[in-house]
Amino acid sequence: MNGQVLLRAENIHKSFSGVQVLKGVNLEIRAGEVHALMGENGAGKSTLIKIIMGVYPKDSGDIWVQGEKVEINSRQDAQRLGLAVIYQELSLIPTLTVMQNILLGQETQKAGLLDRRAMMRRVQELMDRFDLHLDPNEVVENLSIAQQQTVEILKSLTVDAPLIIMDEPTASLSASESERLFDIIDRLRSRGVGILYITHRLEEVRLLADRLTVLRDGENVAVVEKKDYDPQKIIRMMIGKEITTAADRVEMKRPSGPVGLSVRNLCRKGVFRDISFDAHHGEILGIGGLVGSGRTEVLRAIFGADRYDSGEITFDGKKIASTVSGNILKGFGLIPEDRRAQGFIPLQSIRKNVALTNYDLLSGALGLIRSGQESAMCDRAIRDLDIRPNLPSMPVINLSGGNQQKVVVGKWMARDLKVLLVDEPTAGIDVGVKEAIYQILESLAASGVIVIVVSSDLQELLRVSTRILVMREGRIFKEFCEGMITQEDILTAASGIDSSMEVSDE
Amino acid sequence: MRQESVRRIISLCLLFLLIAVFGLTSSYFLAPKNIYAFLRDASVTGILTVGVSFVIITAGIDLSTGALTALCAMLMANFLYYQPGVPIPVLCIVSILVGILGGLLNGFVVTRLKLPDFIATLATQGIFRGLTMFFAIRESGRIRNQVIKNRAFLAFSGKFGFGLFYVTVVFAVMVIIGQLLLKKTKIGVYTYATGSNRKSADLSGIPADRIKRFAFVLSGFCCGLAAIFLLARTGAATVDLGTGLEFDVIAAVVVGGCAFSGGRGDVVGSMIGALFMAILTNGIYKYNLGSEYHVIIKGVVIIIMVLFDSVYQYWFRSRTRSADKRARNGKAVVE
Repeated sequence: MNGQVLLRAENIHKSFSGVQVLKGVNLEIRAGEVHALMGENGAGKSTLIKIIMGVYPKDSGDIWVQGEKVEINSRQDAQRLGLAVIYQELSLIPTLTVMQNILLGQETQKAGLLDRRAMMRRVQELMDRFDLHLDPNEVVENLSIAQQQTVEILKSLTVDAPLIIMDEPTASLSASESERLFDIIDRLRSRGVGILYITHRLEEVRLLADRLTVLRDGENVAVVEKKDYDPQKIIRMMIGKEITTAADRVEMKRPSGPVGLSVRNLCRKGVFRDISFDAHHGEILGIGGLVGSGRTEVLRAIFGADRYDSGEITFDGKKIASTVSGNILKGFGLIPEDRRAQGFIPLQSIRKNVALTNYDLLSGALGLIRSGQESAMCDRAIRDLDIRPNLPSMPVINLSGGNQQKVVVGKWMARDLKVLLVDEPTAGIDVGVKEAIYQILESLAASGVIVIVVSSDLQELLRVSTRILVMREGRIFKEFCEGMITQEDILTAASGIDSSMEVSDE
Repeated sequence: MRQESVRRIISLCLLFLLIAVFGLTSSYFLAPKNIYAFLRDASVTGILTVGVSFVIITAGIDLSTGALTALCAMLMANFLYYQPGVPIPVLCIVSILVGILGGLLNGFVVTRLKLPDFIATLATQGIFRGLTMFFAIRESGRIRNQVIKNRAFLAFSGKFGFGLFYVTVVFAVMVIIGQLLLKKTKIGVYTYATGSNRKSADLSGIPADRIKRFAFVLSGFCCGLAAIFLLARTGAATVDLGTGLEFDVIAAVVVGGCAFSGGRGDVVGSMIGALFMAILTNGIYKYNLGSEYHVIIKGVVIIIMVLFDSVYQYWFRSRTRSADKRARNGKAVVE
């Protein structure tokens, strides 16, 4: 059974509104192997997975499952073929038991009633076979995240020749839980399960993967066997440059302005710890690191959106407020990663969205809104940020991603802004508009605003930052504040590898 | 201990607390006759809670039960008045069929027309109530509350020799059937899945819309069944029969542990809730308090129970989470 090809995807093409996302990608997964899939953000990993799982239709190419050519048009099709995805966010039914979740949709019946004993036997067999033991009668919501993940895995093992796709499975797990998961993966592999493992973490690949497919810009770069594994080489493959040219090097600068925001020993149990840094007036401080390294959480804690357990945050020598509204009054702004859910009010107009955080400045006699000023504020934002179309009454949901982001920026610029916290400034924004967003951030910094940017896009991080911190597993792992650096340097630090030419601070 | 068992114990404790308070303060309260009386009071509401429990577990709501029950009763009254020869079993079947049709309409509006349950059943409540008025028995143009004289039909409000009312037995049977359906069949598991996490229910190939339609149809069926006993007891079909009944039903279901967010609760819990509400009413009257107090207290009980459930769920969740965190911190030391 081991070594048999479970899934083969050949020459997969896919484009979204004219943009080629996958340009003839190949992928082959065998029974009993852990196959890692790596690539930068935007390399096409998640598109490929969604095509395999029947979420998106492919434009062209073929997929074979166990030697048979198949058409996968829905999640149900994929499930029937034994393909299962374990996502970062789990998809169990919280109020049902472990057993009910594992066999959901595959219940055994006797005379119209559930045959509990037969079902229990089946679950017990499954647990024994893969050596994954949980109380089948426990309600899922009472389990830890790692145990819930085990339930998801068991659920995907109810088919004959299972192929499990794991998408960044360790992102929400602690180190010990991750190790337990690796142990489970080992067991699954030895019992003939095929595993496609998507990750950004090189050390996990080194630990687990039998083979590795690297994607870049929607194309295969290489399939690497375990014996040929070399982290530096793989980083280079993902970034796509064998030798970095001078143009890819960016100079980091020690900040010259006075210290504005100062963070000391910020801790939040299980999320981040010992976060200490200073941000200076007029600099753009980039924060790099892998998804789940605690970057977003630090930003939110500074803004007052999440609590923290200990530590101190001061601005211009004074302790900052612990609530969002208090910090907004002091000149803080946050541009969240999930624009649509957290950045703006979709059905409201540009004018209302720009004014949203500024009604304290716009209220007139009797608490009524001074609509003349509201319009003026919006007109200013549209002019300064070049928001298109320039229609104040247009609902923001109807704008393009880039213009939506400009509206989000606009609501902070209307105030006396001191600190702007930006999480993934150009996620889902067209390449052409990205530069405009960068220039806005730069002009803000030039006027003395402290800009802190979290980004997973290395190119972006280098383009926009004057100084870069790299976070890893909830701590600041490295600071780049002088000299020329490249994407490789950041990725190496984010993966926890101490490159020889740099002196680590650990 | 499991969250649901803890919740069950809590609602049982509330019930016994109530019984103890009224039992100790009123010598008459625990007399067999009064016990059968409040069991009867609990029964019509109780029959309806069986169907409504299903609807609420799918994270829905049914506001039309009172009006649909009235419509079923009014149609039976029509037969009794205009076609006295129709056999009683046929009448009962008509009532139940009309109830099922009403449930189908609710299910259609919610799952096919995609209206939110709340608005959909608020609208059908109006429709059912309007139809009840439309079918009201009139004499020279004016609505008349025709008293039912058919003894065979009125027998439905009767009791066994030792004092237990028939309707209570029907209630008990419905609870058993409902609980079996919920806990021992696929439909039951799917009902929880639909209400608890609709998205993953869909991904597991569960026909969630069909489950929702089934819940509404069951709720309608219960309306048709309850209408028979309600009509026999009141002895006349008025246009405002069963007004506010849905309120009692929802109060009972909430006390019993069904959460509006779906996926929680069961029929036995709702039965406890129905008993609780009936005993509360019974006790309030024993204290010679007017029905205005009764309505106010019901409203307060709903608020307290929903509030309690959310606080309690938060507490339960933070407990699991802190256990999670302890595991993490343990590792952080080793690192």
